Amino acid sequence: MAKRIRKIAKIRCRGGSQLKEGIDRASLPEDCKAIKELYPEGISKCSYGCLGGGSCAAACRLGAISIENGNVPVISEKCAGCGLCVRACPQNLIELILPQRNIQTACSNMDAGKTAREACSNSCIACRICEKNCPADAVHVVDNRAVIDPQKCICCGMCAVKCPRGVIRDLYGIMTD
Amino acid sequence: MSYTFTVNGIIRTTDQDKPLLRYLRDDLLLYSVKDGCSEGACGTCTIIVDGYAVKSCVLTTKRAEGRNILTVEGLSVREKEVFVFAFGSCGAVQCGFCIPGMVMAAKALIDRNPDPTDEEIKEAIRGNVCRCTGYKKIIQGIKRAAAILRGDEDTKFVSQFADEDTHGKIEYISEYGTPYDPEVVSGIANYRNYGHASIYGTRYDPMELSGSENPVNYDRASIYGVGQNVFRIDVRKKVLGYGKYPDDIGPEYFIPEDKPELIMEQAGWTREELDDALRRGEIKAGTTIHRRGEHGCNACTIVESDMPPMAYVSAVRSDYPRAIVKKIHKEKAESLPGVLGVLTAADVPCNKVGHIQQDWDVMIAEGDTTRMVGDAICLVVAESPYILEQAKKAVKVEYEPLEPVRNISEARAEDAPPIHENGNLCQQRHVVRGDAAKALAESAYTATAEFRTPFTEHAFLEPECAVSFPYGNGVKVLSTDQGAFDTRKEICHMLGWLDTPERVVVENQLIGGGFGGKEDVTTQHISALAALKFGRPVKAKFSRSESLRVHPKRHAMEGTFTIGCDENGILQGLDCEINFDTGAYASLCGPVLERACTHSVGPYNYHNTDIRGYGYYTNNPPAGAFRGFGVCQSQFALESLLNVLAEKVGISPWEIRYRNAIEPGLELPNGQIADVSTALKETLLAVKPYFDNNPKDRVGIACAMKNAGVGVGLPDKGRAKLIVKDGIVYIYTAASDIGQGCQTVFCQDVAQATALPIYKIRNGVANTENSPDSGTTSGSRQTLLTGEAVRGAALLLRKAMDESGIIEANLDRLNGREFTYEYFEPTDKLGSDKPNPRSHIAYGYATNVAVLDEEGKVTDIYAAFDAGKVVNPLSMSGQIEGGVLMGMGYALTEDWPLEDCVPKAKYGTLGLLRATETPEIHAIHVEKDWLLDVSYGAKGIGEITTIPAAPAIAGAYYAKDGVLRTSLPLKDTYYSRK
Repeated sequence: MAKRIRKIAKIRCRGGSQLKEGIDRASLPEDCKAIKELYPEGISKCSYGCLGGGSCAAACRLGAISIENGNVPVISEKCAGCGLCVRACPQNLIELILPQRNIQTACSNMDAGKTAREACSNSCIACRICEKNCPADAVHVVDNRAVIDPQKCICCGMCAVKCPRGVIRDLYGIMTD
Repeated sequence: MSYTFTVNGIIRTTDQDKPLLRYLRDDLLLYSVKDGCSEGACGTCTIIVDGYAVKSCVLTTKRAEGRNILTVEGLSVREKEVFVFAFGSCGAVQCGFCIPGMVMAAKALIDRNPDPTDEEIKEAIRGNVCRCTGYKKIIQGIKRAAAILRGDEDTKFVSQFADEDTHGKIEYISEYGTPYDPEVVSGIANYRNYGHASIYGTRYDPMELSGSENPVNYDRASIYGVGQNVFRIDVRKKVLGYGKYPDDIGPEYFIPEDKPELIMEQAGWTREELDDALRRGEIKAGTTIHRRGEHGCNACTIVESDMPPMAYVSAVRSDYPRAIVKKIHKEKAESLPGVLGVLTAADVPCNKVGHIQQDWDVMIAEGDTTRMVGDAICLVVAESPYILEQAKKAVKVEYEPLEPVRNISEARAEDAPPIHENGNLCQQRHVVRGDAAKALAESAYTATAEFRTPFTEHAFLEPECAVSFPYGNGVKVLSTDQGAFDTRKEICHMLGWLDTPERVVVENQLIGGGFGGKEDVTTQHISALAALKFGRPVKAKFSRSESLRVHPKRHAMEGTFTIGCDENGILQGLDCEINFDTGAYASLCGPVLERACTHSVGPYNYHNTDIRGYGYYTNNPPAGAFRGFGVCQSQFALESLLNVLAEKVGISPWEIRYRNAIEPGLELPNGQIADVSTALKETLLAVKPYFDNNPKDRVGIACAMKNAGVGVGLPDKGRAKLIVKDGIVYIYTAASDIGQGCQTVFCQDVAQATALPIYKIRNGVANTENSPDSGTTSGSRQTLLTGEAVRGAALLLRKAMDESGIIEANLDRLNGREFTYEYFEPTDKLGSDKPNPRSHIAYGYATNVAVLDEEGKVTDIYAAFDAGKVVNPLSMSGQIEGGVLMGMGYALTEDWPLEDCVPKAKYGTLGLLRATETPEIHAIHVEKDWLLDVSYGAKGIGEITTIPAAPAIAGAYYAKDGVLRTSLPLKDTYYSRK
């Protein structure tokens, strides 16, 4: 008896980048596509991250995504993996993953290390410490950010424990908080 | 800073920030948490943290702050019993090193999902490698554990354990007739040693145990005899993690003579038991104390009162495959506090070891040249592992790097630098019968190709480890290896004690997998050397990366094979040249090369062969024994070419094999007459339906044969000694059980021969001092050779019983009696001029069929094996499933990349197949009525299981796309690394 393979949504950004000078969160529209049209270069120092407009939460029919004060959305256990939020995110930050693959990256910044470090306190700086420590050759820095190959990853969490920036997270909250 | 967390219900605080694995093992002595790699790759250290399965080598004490941690020791009594029963009755336990980690991964899953599917179980243990079982029986074990825990499986008999959780009785749930733990049946299961201190095992009344509906006859051999599905004798200690592998021997294992009360803690003795032993004078230096009631599990050893505590030794190893060691700067390391000393080649009485050829330097001396990156330069001995690592970094070695010899063609180049005195040709063999050139010239069809196969890493879960301590006028070595007497010989060679070998005592602990990789000494000799130098216990333990670099691999092969047949597909002749890369040292190059040559002809009926084999030294890591023993390489080539011939003749790959298959009475290609037990045709017939009923373009087939016993004229003997003590028969034979289950087989042999119940039969703790030499665990020989010796000794016991009218109830009348037996059947040397030489005492045969799906994924492997009498069907299926999966890894994913002789792989990137990647492996036992008249007809199964899978899978791809793949791992498959 085959069960349907359940997936859940995962956002590859933890927030942490400050808004650019002169941009006020309260004045931004509550729609990410609209924000992106107003500010094609982005609203924060990191141009890759979450815009905080809440489009994903608006798209979710299960109320699984909550968003407060422009922070990065939180996806609850209600998520059924339908993928509506994936399409709603103009930054392409949301991916569907297998819930048992608990070790995941949480940054999409593709700038070089120094620029990325200055842009956000939670950014991947392409230091490759994860690569060096991965026992399974599953994580690699691609376009200046850590990317985990789900085929190879054995979810040991070594990269999450070693990551100096807290970019790689344990969704179970054991290896990282 | 201090970190506080809960471990098995007890609040613990530490001020050290270190991997949780180290804290649990070193500080809390929770030895169920195994250290297989310390890098997150293997899963043996899996524990449960806040309900999730986590690798404890990854998590640190700092990050564990506030968490709730559970190890196997902390499971409830009911859970422990359920896992022991479920894993044992499903045959899930072989070497056992991965098992506690599997149990924890399973427990985390079952807690969340009480009724998991196979797919969910596979996903849950995806991070846990098992090299023995092929996962199938572990998955079944987890399924059964879940079923019992949620109350779904039927109760047929009831066990009587007091249960702390329920304050009542636990109901054991099992199908009728399911085998049950012999430790429970014999009342030696002991609860004091793993947690809940107040629980005791109860001696079972066998009749009561059998229940009312269908009485299980526990008091006769029928339940543990030859041919029964029996519960292995070592399940409990492996599942619950209290069985000792050498690394589970810590400083607390050595108890000074003047502190006997420490024994109570270590062995679970009561004050009265200790006083008794003291009165009898049993507590003296050199005595090994066993856990309460358990003869097979050491708890501690008494040492002299003034012996200092355990120290640690490790080697500084060469950074270069070939370099002159100019200078070793050891002064800085020696001056560090806590460092006992640094040993160099000058400190070794005889600086050479080697399994057959003594060509392996214990250490490379100043002025000498290294032969591989793993070569030891010096040994650092220190008070703690931490100081040891610091000190090793403080040793500076000056090298003059030289150009290495990278491969076979560089090794045989005329101007190649000689790696050893006698040049780079380590071994050669020439096997000729008939006239191969003429036969091939007259063949209607021929096929020829060059084949290449890679080095393969054994990847046993337990890294090498040994603990040695001064003993009598010599040294005792607690080891994990494949032959205690071989290890003794190598150590004696190093010490210059070959005339007084009894000064070295080698005792194997539990062995966490071998597969051929633990035949050579690795840690044993260096720990013995350090123990003697410093007069104290010394542990030598390899890190995983050290293990990967040092122990010998499966030989890489480059070979050219030509085979011919007539117009009906009847084979005519074979010509081949096999070149092996044996790396820096010979190890077992000679015998492995010989087996590759003698088996390259396959199990077929033709008599013109010209086989040339060469083994070359290079600066690569050494190659030696590996399950399959040279035959994996040559059978891959031969069987691949048979498919080409079949196509030319216009018959199916099955048909060409069946037409040529050897039968009893025919001559094998080496001239030996195939004996009555030969069942190759039967294995072919067993898989025929699967070959015929799957799509022609997605199915492949291969046969194999493999010798049992060392053979070829060597004095290969099986020896056993039975001693009756306290009305119980103890089996003493220094035969290593590396996980294959030979110790259980020996108990079955005794049960069969004497009709004694299993609770009257036990394995003694065998070592080179108290047990006869029964040879190496290699060449599928223990079940046959030592099995026959055990049977012989048991029949002598039976005779003594019959003569005096003794039955099990009054067996104690034979207390103190010993029964010994030696089994030896001479064989003929290779190249013997007899018309029908007998190379080996027996051969096993096999046929595998591999089935692909449309994408090219292997979905099923039908694996039929002739191993003579099947002694324990459960174990035999486990051997087959594990061996076949290993063969599938060899075919598709496993590799051992080298860059200028430097290994590039880590444990996690070797390409070991994980639970989620396993196909359905269907083990088929082919058992004939006609069997050999030794060892109840058993021929052994260990080695042959790995051989036919790779060529069968290659055959399936050949059928799919018509491309003859001539190298391993196979290229352009579903499994090729993207």
